[in-house]
Amino acid sequence: MIKPSNIEIDREKGNFHYPTSSYAFDAGIGLSAEVIKYISEVKNEENWVLDHRLKALSIFEKKPMPTHWASKDLENIDFDVIRYYLAQGQQPSRTWDEVPDDIKETFERLGIPEQERKFLAGVEAQFDSEAAYSRMKEDLEKEGVIFVGPTEGLKDHPEIFRKWFGKVIPSSDNKFSALNSAVFSGGSFIYVPPGVKLAQPLQAYFRINAENFGQFERTLIIADEGSEITYMEGCTAPKFETSTLHSAVVELVALKGSKIQYITVQNWSNNVYNLVTKRAIAEENAEVRWIDCNIGSKLTMKYPGVVLKGRKSRGEVLSIALANDGQHQDTGAKMIHSASETSSNVIAKSISIGNGRSSYRGLVQIPGHLKNCKNNTECDALLINSESQTDTYPAIAVKGDDNSVQHEASVSKVSAEQIFYMQQRGLSEAEAMSMYVNGFVNDLIREFPMEYSVELKRLIDLEMEGSVG
Amino acid sequence: MSSSSQISESPKSNFLSSDFLDVFLEKRSWEPGWLVDFRKESWEKYLDLPKERLKDENWRFSPRSRFGYSNFPELTKSERESTLNCDDTSNVFFESLNQTILDSPSILSDLPNLTEPNLGSISNLLLCRTFAENGFVIKAPKQFQSNSIFKTTNFAPQNNKSRFQQNFIFLEPHSELTLLEWYESEDNSSGLLSNTSNIFLSENSIFNRVVIQKLNHESTFLHHENIELQKGSQFNNIIVQLGSSQSRIESKGSIFGEGAEFNNSSICLGIHKQLFDQRTIQHHSSPNSNSNLLFKNALLDEAKSVFSGMIKVDPEAQNTDAFQTNRNLLLSNEAEADSLPGLEILANEVKCSHGATTSKIDDQELFYLLSRGIPKRTCEKLVVLGFFDEVISKIKNDDLLNQLRNEISAHFDTTI
Repeated sequence: MIKPSNIEIDREKGNFHYPTSSYAFDAGIGLSAEVIKYISEVKNEENWVLDHRLKALSIFEKKPMPTHWASKDLENIDFDVIRYYLAQGQQPSRTWDEVPDDIKETFERLGIPEQERKFLAGVEAQFDSEAAYSRMKEDLEKEGVIFVGPTEGLKDHPEIFRKWFGKVIPSSDNKFSALNSAVFSGGSFIYVPPGVKLAQPLQAYFRINAENFGQFERTLIIADEGSEITYMEGCTAPKFETSTLHSAVVELVALKGSKIQYITVQNWSNNVYNLVTKRAIAEENAEVRWIDCNIGSKLTMKYPGVVLKGRKSRGEVLSIALANDGQHQDTGAKMIHSASETSSNVIAKSISIGNGRSSYRGLVQIPGHLKNCKNNTECDALLINSESQTDTYPAIAVKGDDNSVQHEASVSKVSAEQIFYMQQRGLSEAEAMSMYVNGFVNDLIREFPMEYSVELKRLIDLEMEGSVG
Repeated sequence: MSSSSQISESPKSNFLSSDFLDVFLEKRSWEPGWLVDFRKESWEKYLDLPKERLKDENWRFSPRSRFGYSNFPELTKSERESTLNCDDTSNVFFESLNQTILDSPSILSDLPNLTEPNLGSISNLLLCRTFAENGFVIKAPKQFQSNSIFKTTNFAPQNNKSRFQQNFIFLEPHSELTLLEWYESEDNSSGLLSNTSNIFLSENSIFNRVVIQKLNHESTFLHHENIELQKGSQFNNIIVQLGSSQSRIESKGSIFGEGAEFNNSSICLGIHKQLFDQRTIQHHSSPNSNSNLLFKNALLDEAKSVFSGMIKVDPEAQNTDAFQTNRNLLLSNEAEADSLPGLEILANEVKCSHGATTSKIDDQELFYLLSRGIPKRTCEKLVVLGFFDEVISKIKNDDLLNQLRNEISAHFDTTI
């Protein structure tokens, strides 16, 4: 009944490419100490930042690719043809009118800021290496909320950001975190003062516009005691002939009693290598929640983690991955318990369409000296076509008789009876399939903010087109 | 005997030294030429192995150093053969490895063509093929049926020596056989037993097997098994591990025929510093087959278990039902259970799931028993026996079942 299909999704629907005539700052092709010095100079950085970058470069050069467990596809990344820094010399504009027309056009075409900024507390839009637009509601500024790029963050507020920069994810964590630490530009540095609760989310858009360009944004969010913040990011890129690299590092610090919710909708074109390191530290009573949705990219490797450092802290990862033809979504979660009475929850749902492959890779670690730690992990995979593939590789290490862990995973396919039931009620097979898939992820999508859940449903419908029949 | 003890004085006696193989082959000069070649070939392959990688997923969570040969550098001189018992061997070929090589080497002629399961210990496997001097061979003829249990008792050597053992089990079409494999130590001194079993189940054959490992607490147990299931065959495996200081089991079930059924279950009761490392694969290459895995570990003191399981479903293996369950019960603050359940699914018409849980004894259950005046230690023992019963109650033979329950109970009591 469900036949394999070779129909290519019409990517033109999402072709947001606009030719950009010239970049004022271009670090050229390839990676070297000179490139890094150039980036640092353009950004007018302090010496310690440059030293940090150069040290990360040497770590990057020494570290092997993680191919002993990960996809061999990583070996296809040619670090020598990538452009590591491109900017039009833009300073983040404070009003939408100041944004250069061609960049504005791109973002307008995405249908984003004009419509949605009304609902958002702050927006940042990154175009290649640097933010093109950054805006935050004034009342938040008065309350002391800081929402800037890493360059400004490290220069203007070192007393806040330097302490945590590179502490949650050290440069030596893995090859790609080292790469990011060497060449990072763009991203968001956010500080929420004690007790400040942001009722509306802060938002960032990331966009790659140049061919062979690698985007390396760096995000650091610090939620001070008792504060609350929701941060959303979205990613797009036009489809180029050659592959592109996106390698971000995101560090979250949730101090005592604070809450951070981090939402990602990743929809890179399907020739982007998306290799992202995301980790949070949760102190006493703090709560960190990663909501992660991966639809685009060629290969995504992303395992958001929470280090539960303080008593009674909570960590959660909700993840949706959709792998279409030629895509490999290698996602998962890491929960490192290092204090008593901590709890963590992971719910991952993946859908493989055509010859797409989705993988779940997880780590749950509870050492023996802790009391009353709990973890719950659920992974559900749905296979649509006969060439679709799914893997699950969790790792669970538990010591001590006072902790409990449960892990469950299942793999299923769309049942013929259910499709028949819906067809019998007048839906086409494709509609029925789309409805089934939306139903499969529905309980997770409900956790998303309104506008994202609508967008997500639309994206899933788009991806499902042509997968049946 | 005196001459052999002289050999053991020289460094040549270390079986990993370059010139040991010649000494070894000379001693076994009665073997057919092809087997000598096979041993040499396996040794060459062993030498050609790439260096052990520091990070190997197949050894994740496992303290690899505990499984080395360095503490057991010499082959045992003890000629204690595996014992074979059965009251009904009329039609069945049931012999020790050495006897088989002497009398009916043709049964082993497929040996060089065997596939190598690789779940991490390829080096152990190759050493087994090079140096195996013990083991047993069973071949059940077509249509064979019997109510008798075939039993083998196998021994880990004494005095820090190593023993390599290879076993072969062939079931011809429509036959059914029940085997009890018992592993114990020759005495109280430490030794290493490295054991490889190749099991072939032809069409519609049924193989029921119980493995009981009761080595002394100084010894190392290494065990590989590779099971090939043809159309309609069925394998029911129960592994019970109580003994050894460290044990590593690698069990691979490959389903090559439609409608085959692979049931693999295991229990381990860990005390003191025992380490139980278990690696399994359920590999489905044919449609309409089932597999079911249930591994349960109860850990006291500083015992540790590692469970790594993989369900692999090839694209052509549609209509597969494959399940995998790992349950760990931790009874002390120092006990550790690591789980790596895995799925790799390339077919879409499947029902596959895995589950892994790790927890302590439920407080309410414990309270219920305590409130009836039962001492805490006894309560824990009762809960553990109940926890294991899901696996061992599958054993049909009442005598064996009762014996096992007593063994588990006695093993539990040694920690007090």
